[in-house]
Order: sequence, then structure tokens, then C-alpha cells
Amino acid sequence: MVLLEVTDLKTYFKTQEGTLKAVDGIGFKLEKGQAMGLAGESGCGKTTAALSIMKLLPANGYIAGGSINFMGQDMSKVTGDKLRAIRWRDISIIFQGAMNALNPVKRVGDQIIEPILLHENVDEEVAKKRVQELFSLVGINPNRIREYPHEFSGGMRQRVMIAMALACRPKLVIADEPTTALDVMIQAQILQLMKNLQTELELAMIIISHDLSVLAETCDLLSIMYAGKIVERSSAVEVFSNPQHPYTKGLIAAFPNIKGDRKMPASIAGNPPNLIRPPTGCRFSPRCYMAQEICKNQEPPLIEVLPGHFAACHFVQPKG
Amino acid sequence: MATNVIEVKNLQVWFPVRRGFIESLTSKEQRWVKAVDGISFQIKEREIFCLVGESGCGKTTTGKAILRLEEPTGGSVKYAGAGLTPALVKEAATEAVRKKVMKKDEAEKDVAKGAVEVRYLHKAKMKALRQKMQMIFQDPYESLNPKQSIYDIVAEPLVVNNLGANEAERETRVKKALDDAGLRPPKDFMWRFPHEVSGGQRQRVGIAGALVLDPAFLVADEPVSMLDVSIRSEILKLMLDLREKKGLTYLFITHDLGVAYVFSDRIGIMYLGKIVELGPTEEVIKGPRHPYTKALISVVPKPDPRMKTEKIILKGERPDPAHIPPGCRFHPRCPFAMEICRVKEPTPLFVSQEHWVSCWLESGEAKQ
Repeated sequence: MVLLEVTDLKTYFKTQEGTLKAVDGIGFKLEKGQAMGLAGESGCGKTTAALSIMKLLPANGYIAGGSINFMGQDMSKVTGDKLRAIRWRDISIIFQGAMNALNPVKRVGDQIIEPILLHENVDEEVAKKRVQELFSLVGINPNRIREYPHEFSGGMRQRVMIAMALACRPKLVIADEPTTALDVMIQAQILQLMKNLQTELELAMIIISHDLSVLAETCDLLSIMYAGKIVERSSAVEVFSNPQHPYTKGLIAAFPNIKGDRKMPASIAGNPPNLIRPPTGCRFSPRCYMAQEICKNQEPPLIEVLPGHFAACHFVQPKG
Repeated sequence: MATNVIEVKNLQVWFPVRRGFIESLTSKEQRWVKAVDGISFQIKEREIFCLVGESGCGKTTTGKAILRLEEPTGGSVKYAGAGLTPALVKEAATEAVRKKVMKKDEAEKDVAKGAVEVRYLHKAKMKALRQKMQMIFQDPYESLNPKQSIYDIVAEPLVVNNLGANEAERETRVKKALDDAGLRPPKDFMWRFPHEVSGGQRQRVGIAGALVLDPAFLVADEPVSMLDVSIRSEILKLMLDLREKKGLTYLFITHDLGVAYVFSDRIGIMYLGKIVELGPTEEVIKGPRHPYTKALISVVPKPDPRMKTEKIILKGERPDPAHIPPGCRFHPRCPFAMEICRVKEPTPLFVSQEHWVSCWLESGEAKQ
């Protein structure tokens, strides 16, 4: 069952210098219980894509085209009370730098009770009990619900944020850089927790990160974004074992591999382009080692290289 | 044999826990946060020594204590690199003896080696010496003043240290530093503000700010952890180039073993204020001996979903440095903790010429 289908989504921002095309025609499908990774460098539009799905764009941002089909409703058109009913009950988000997203002067338990009381017709006792269950689910002592955020360490606060995202038993959770500010050991704990929750609760997840290795460990599907577009998309195993797009190859090569030989990983020269005036043709061409004349003039379509494996590059051919 | 630029011995940095009024009336003992609790290592000339550990293990405090940006409470830090003259070494040694903080024979040894004890250096002399010992900070988004142009940021150390006879000379030095840090051509970057350049370029500005004083020893505190993976190796390569060109020596501080693996010559693994394992990088990563090192290596995410390796995920988080457990301080989280670990602290044991580990498991083996 397809839970979320994004087609040709375009999200633009009005700025003083012109229209910034943060997300410029992306599409993907997500089924129940699937985890998709969205990878790319900072500024490639991955967070904007997430905020578009949640409809949490800042005032100068707007959805300029395409559709977001979530369980039969087009999220790009839903507004008002209807939208509020979907948000957090069906789709929730774990924000970037989540550890600092908690209200410092409110008890953590109360912060999680709030969305439950808002969305469901239950009394405070029931909600409190739910919070305690959630705490044990994410590995925090349920007795700590009356504590304040500063009494928790960074990793624990991240667990609180995960508990909060799960408060109304959503079907889809979006996690924006869920482990970026954490230590490796805590990161491993959180990733394991997210993986377990995903299988236990049959959650669909979109995990956003610039760190491919984090996504490699948690996701079934992987989409690589560059300058507002998805340049490659397939199952995670397929993307890693058989990368097609030069950008994907570059990203994979940029990782130091602790199990491999001791050598400095390659880097991708140059900087991501300005999205107000993106380069013509293939947006990656100014940084691409195999760029030819055609790349500068013509935008490559996203073609199906192998069943379920898409890439947008002039130099990939469909394989039978 | 290359000389040791830095020699740290038994370094301690303790912070007092503030006592309330009532508590101060009771005879309760003063408690301390033991951020760094007796660590020793040397860094040879042109070497990259890496301290790895979770946040709060004291690695940054160690780096700062070496530069005396944090005052050490015990132990010694000796520096023997560029910027020292025989006269200065001698003066520092005599002064330390006169103040009765150093024994005479030790002071004589220092003079013979051409090393100064950083801890006892007079403030003004330390400030002068710090030109040769600089620091690169973690977050290029927060460590640069957003209201200053890149020129002003990089020129500031010159102004503070009263260097450069006039503006023109300063400008030449700033340009040179920017060029060395890979911001080329410098005049294109000089008058921009931090928000106008990318993350990688910002970190280069931070590096230029350290380079402008022409240092010999750099403490790099997580210089790439805030950067996108795709540009990390560019910054690391720049730092390697600078070592070749300028003969720099680095103390590299990171929590990322992957980066430490490709970049450093030797690694020290820190846990709660102590180094638990130290050795040549390849040896430590490929043949870790301490259970903590093994666990850390096992949780580094592999950039390949087909690589499924056994992970040793330690329960809980690091204990508080204000309440250090007795015995081996790692024992509450150690999957192999034995009786002795709870009572007695293990001592370093060499497992090869340059590789040592502090763990009772190893000592037990060695005894048999």
C-alpha cells in the first residue's frame, strides 16, 4: 500500500534577489513500514522537501507545483483544521537539532501530553499513561516524565523528541538529521532504536541526513538530492553497490572507511550552486569530472536504469 | 629521532564544584570535576597525534590546557619547538626554580633539551609563545564574528599581538595566510563577511586566522565535524599540505574514528579524563585491545548497507566526571568487567613497542 506519493514537487522561496528554487521537481513513493533516506549536501533542499510534506514552510516559501499524496489526500491543498488534524496525528517530525527544540521551562512529560490531548479525546490520566509507555519504548525510565529538559543529556533529549514524535501513533515520521549532533556511541543507540521502532510499529520513515553511512544502516530506500533535484533513487543496497550518478559515486567515495585501507577519501571539488540562478543543463555539471558539452545545455531526465533504479545523467543507459 | 615538540606528563585539569553557603560551613570535602585526570603523551615534530573520545571525556580541555587557555591543576606540559631561544628557555627554567615550583635537576634537563614548562611560564611570555601554538576551533559557523570582514578576522591576531609594523605589512601577512589556507585569490575573499562564504571556506578562514601568526604547533578541535562529508577531506588535505610546507605539528581532537583513522599518525583513546589506549593509528584501529576502543570502532557507521558487522553498543552514557567510579573508570559500562576492575585502577601495559593499553584483561593475559 502506497502511503505517500510525491510527484513533481516544487517548493520555491521568495527572496530579495529572486525566486529560490529549493525543491525543483522531485518525486518518490513510500509504502507502509518503509524507511527512505534522503541524502545530499547542506542546501540541497532536503529539509525543505520535508517541511513541504508537513506544510511547515516559512512565510516566504510556497509549493509552486506538483502534488503530495498522503493516504489519498493531496497535502499541498489541505489547509486549516483538516491540516491540523493530519499533522502530528498521521505525520510527525523529529526536527534537526532536536535536543534544543524542547521548551526549557516545561516538564518533558507535559510537552508530550500536549499533542495527545489536542488530537485525541482522552483525559489527562490516559495521556500520562501513554507518555510513560512511550518513555519505556524509547528507553527512558518512565519516572522521569516530571523532569525538565536540562536534566537530560543530549542523547536522552533526542529520545524524548522521538517519543514526542510517536505520541499520537503516526504512520509516517520524518527525521531531519536525527543524529548529527550526537556522539558515535549515542548515535548507534539512537539508530538502533529507530530501526527497532520502525519494525515494531510498522512506521514509515523519511530520514534526512548528509551522512550516507547513517542512512546505509537504517534505510530500505535511498534518494540522493542535488540542488533541488533527486539525481538518483533506488533501494539502499542497490545505490551503494551499483551507483550510477557521478555525484552519488562522489558522495560514497567521500567516506573514510574504517574497515578498508588507510587512505584519504576523495572529495567533490567546488560548492553547491546558487539556487536562485542554478546552472543550465545538468546542475551538477560544473562540479562533475565527466561533464561534456551536452551537460551544460540539456537537462538529463531521470531514467530507469534497472527496474526500480533511477538516475539522472546523460551518461547512464538503461540496462536490460 | 625526531624531537618531541610537546610532552604532556600526568596532566590534570580539575574544576572545583561550587559549594553552597550551608555546605561551606560543614567540613565536607571540596569536590572536583576531574575533566582531565592524569594523562601523558608526547607529540613528535611534524606528527599528527589524535585524541578520540565521546563528548565530555576531556579531550578539548586537554587541548586548551596545553595552550594554557585553561589552567592545568597538576602535571606538566613541556614545549620544545619553534619560537624558543636558548635565553628564553634558561630564563623560564631559572624562574621556575626560584619560585620553587620545579626542582633544579629537572630544570637543568629542560635547558639541555631546549624545552620550556608551559605551566610555569609567566603570562606575558605565554602570550608571546602562544603565537607559535595556535588553535583551530570546531564550529566555523559560530567561531567567526559575523560583523567582521574576513580581513579583520584574520588580522585580529596580529593586532592583539602587536605584530606588523604598519597596515601594509599586515595586509601582506593576511593575504599570505588566506592564500596558505586555500582561499585564492585572497583579494576575492578579504572583504567578504562570514555569511557570504560556504562552510568549508569558513573553516579555511579559521585556519587562516591561526596561520597568520606563523605557528609551529596547532591544536585542531574537531575542525571538520560540522562540515558536509563531501568537503571534509579537502580541509584534511589542506592540513596535511600545511604540515609538509610549514613543518607543522598537530594535536587533532575528534570523536570520529573514521577521520582519525585516515588522518593521524598516532591515536590516544580517552575515556572520562584518562587515556585508556594509545598507539600508532593503524595498530589501534586494526588491532584494538581495550574494550572501549573495540566498542567505539564497532559503532562507526559503515558506508555500505551490505557490510553487517557486530556492534558493541554500550549501555547508558558516560558517567559524570564529578563522580568518577572507583577502580577502572570504564567498569560500569564494560561488558567484561571483573572483580578487580571495581577496586583497582589498571596501569598502562605495553603490548608492542609504541602501543599501550590500560586494562586488567590485558594485564591478566600478560601475567600468564
